[in-house]
Amino acid sequence: MRKGYRMNQGRMGLLVAAALLAVPASASAQTPGKGAKPPAGADKKADDKKPEDAKPEDKPADSAAAPADAPPASDAPAAPDAGGGGICDLDPSQCPQVDFDAAAAKKIPAQMYAVQQLYALRVRRVEVNPYWSFTLNDQFVSHPAPGLAINYYVTNVLAVGVNGTWYRPFGSNLNQDSSFNAQTRRAARIGVPLTEYDWSAALNFTYVPVYGKFAGFGDFIFHYDAYIVGGLGMLSNRPIAVIDPDNRTFQSKGHLAFNAGLGLRIFFNRWFAAVGEVRNYVFRDELENTTIAPGKAAADKSTWYGDKPVTVNVQAQVGLAIFLPFSWEYRLPK
Amino acid sequence: MMRRILTVVLPTAALLGVSSQASAQENQLTGPLAGAPAVRGLRLHRKQRFEIAPAISFTLLDEFQRHILLGGRLTYNVTDWLGLGVWGAFGAVKQTTGLSDRIQEANDQRFKQSDPNFSTGQASTGRTLVRANVGKDFKQQLGAINWIFAPQITAVPFRGKLSLFQKIFVDTDAYFFAGPAFVNLREREDCGGSTGVDCSARDGSGPDPGNVRPAATKGTQSRMAIAPTFGLGLNFYTGQWTSIGFEWRALLYSWNTGGFDTAGGGEGGRFPDAKIDKSDREFKFNQMITLSFGMQFPRTIKQSD
Repeated sequence: MRKGYRMNQGRMGLLVAAALLAVPASASAQTPGKGAKPPAGADKKADDKKPEDAKPEDKPADSAAAPADAPPASDAPAAPDAGGGGICDLDPSQCPQVDFDAAAAKKIPAQMYAVQQLYALRVRRVEVNPYWSFTLNDQFVSHPAPGLAINYYVTNVLAVGVNGTWYRPFGSNLNQDSSFNAQTRRAARIGVPLTEYDWSAALNFTYVPVYGKFAGFGDFIFHYDAYIVGGLGMLSNRPIAVIDPDNRTFQSKGHLAFNAGLGLRIFFNRWFAAVGEVRNYVFRDELENTTIAPGKAAADKSTWYGDKPVTVNVQAQVGLAIFLPFSWEYRLPK
Repeated sequence: MMRRILTVVLPTAALLGVSSQASAQENQLTGPLAGAPAVRGLRLHRKQRFEIAPAISFTLLDEFQRHILLGGRLTYNVTDWLGLGVWGAFGAVKQTTGLSDRIQEANDQRFKQSDPNFSTGQASTGRTLVRANVGKDFKQQLGAINWIFAPQITAVPFRGKLSLFQKIFVDTDAYFFAGPAFVNLREREDCGGSTGVDCSARDGSGPDPGNVRPAATKGTQSRMAIAPTFGLGLNFYTGQWTSIGFEWRALLYSWNTGGFDTAGGGEGGRFPDAKIDKSDREFKFNQMITLSFGMQFPRTIKQSD
């Protein structure tokens, strides 16, 4: 049954394709504006016509000449009646009873795509996306880190997946405290609470509403798409002890983090692409207390934490996307 | 550990190794399309047209003060892939960051005589140390962009279209630009040393024997910085002569954004020297994003073969 269904789909596709070929001017994606010039190649095409396409008067004199034994033109058989043709003369019971006007007016609920055959189909494919992320909105501490995203495309435009970013890989610490902090502390005598990240992980949904293609240097074509992504996960971080480093040592804590972002993917081929993404991670942070409790209370951990603002960490993520499996078959012919 | 690295590196290298054989759209054609151009009947949105684009720009990663700049771009596109033009903008809106507000609050508190800690020796020392760097109205001493003027060359290597929800189709191009920028800045004025200006001058006149008055609001001066600028952008053509643009721009120059004495003294000049001068300027990778609405003239559009 499934095979039969596919055959039916294939036949429908052929019919739709034939219809499209018959009316190419009205079904083009980029309808020429008023007064658009015909392609310059049109005249050239006329000159390049194949001999069999040429009109009779264009034929060479020797080939146009009728053979001496050819019957006169008036002896040619009459054109068959419209509608039935020869079958109606031979067997009237087989003559098709079709109302062509009604058939022409009938609406066909064919599913037509504005762009036929997407260059890189995503449906039922897994995207593996290693990336490098860096901070866009924290001038005090940058948080560069490697990360990995894995998405499964349920439809061609919708995916579900996970991503994780590791800010302290293999025991190192990629968080970078800017020299600007020390300068500001020294000049204005004000301590700015700083935070360093440990890791983040999220479950995400991706929607791909935009796709297109570019001609590069008028020479080659590459395809791209743009997507929105959002999800929910955890982000683990801890304050860097700035106000009272003698007493305070902070441990990492996980925070519930929402994320939303935009991305652009440029395809090198049908399974390999470059990805650029901007993602906002929003979470309730816990900052170091800017005041120090007097006396022995300074060593009391409950006095170490201060404000709990909502932090928006804007992160750029640049990486590669590998789609698996590498190849697929289109459902409809081109 | 080594094995783990290899398991990542080797597949990646293998993938990269085979990727060169499968090009974007199999343009190594041998049939009747061999040698044909990649695109026929391309709408030439740029070729031999002027573009006038009012624009609004937003600075990024500002430490003390954000800017919203209003301006525009004027470009003559010699070909569809090369344009010459200028971009200019002035700092219409200046908004302090949370850090500036915090410094202002802390400074106000520092000189509030009703504060219970005001009379302590530590508070008095703090007031003395901070006067050279923070004036009564901190916002007034912050570095600011007055205006920018940048002649620039625009290259448009990528031209295409995008589909939005399979309903809306928009011609699009991606471009790069570069050129020299003339940036008119306002910064804290030079003081200390041979300038004759006291960096720690008190608010009001006369002596301050009780060490209770804040520093006067710092004076500022303007100067011109000449800086390289470059960036990239996308133009979405909404019609034959209109477009919406989005671009990112970098401007590389040194300036003193906070009006602080941060350098010029000590080893390597990395410590304060009780002067405000050009040694206190710090090199910055200044960035901004711009939204524009472009209008192309003449309004009629040409089309390639």
